Amino acid sequence: MTTDISLFKGLNAKMNYLNQRQKVISQNIANADTPHYQPSDLTKVDFGRVLKKVTGDKSISMAATQANHMPPPNEVATGKIKEARETYEVAPDANGVILEEQLIKSNDVQIDYNLMINLYRQNVDMIRTSLGRRS
Amino acid sequence: MADSNMFSTLTVSGYGMRAQSERVRVIAQNIANSDTAPLKPGEMPYTRQQITFKNHLDRKIGEKLVEVKDIKNDTKAEYPLKYMPGHPAADAEGYVRMPNVNGLIETMDMKEATRSYEANLGMFNQTREMMNRTIGLLQ
Repeated sequence: MTTDISLFKGLNAKMNYLNQRQKVISQNIANADTPHYQPSDLTKVDFGRVLKKVTGDKSISMAATQANHMPPPNEVATGKIKEARETYEVAPDANGVILEEQLIKSNDVQIDYNLMINLYRQNVDMIRTSLGRRS
Repeated sequence: MADSNMFSTLTVSGYGMRAQSERVRVIAQNIANSDTAPLKPGEMPYTRQQITFKNHLDRKIGEKLVEVKDIKNDTKAEYPLKYMPGHPAADAEGYVRMPNVNGLIETMDMKEATRSYEANLGMFNQTREMMNRTIGLLQ
């Protein structure tokens, strides 16, 4: 599987993160008119470090067989959902969602995702070339 | 944290659109009834309906969705009196109590609902595009 190749593992982690972020943003937008709703976002993850961890991986780690097992150190991290403490503007019904801000965020997600997809494709092409097939 | 699933992103946006379209329905009902006067003197005319939303955790899919909380009568807005002596519901002075629907407020509310709907639709389309691109990796 491509997921066992470390570079793909890193790309996968980032794509997973972007998926989650897109979901959080769409929750914010869906609740743009809900009273007392504060928008959330994912905490930032340093994917450079994640990639270094993943690519420098030569050790064998224990398998996590239960949900409450601690993840092995070479496992890729994901962001945590965090509610925004302060927003630019709060509506009279105590709703802190600003559509423009959320749309900009979702646009960032889109751009990053496209980049990841393109990198993924490039790497697959590289592997294909090394296998001697011309694509 | 719930596992990230693009289909659940679509569900979240879908519920957002559903809530906003319910809001549009209520506004349309208000506008349609903005001239619904009572039938007899002393009766109440049509009362403006107001919709409220709430954030609700759906345990089945593990997502926080937006839902319609309730649709209530707006009793705070004043009922205007209109001078129509010939009307069957006119009182002794010839005034008829008219619905407390303000066309301007309803129009602005409708605009807001439309924009929110579009934002949800935009998220839906963007997520779908991401899914399509991921599927495109198979080619």
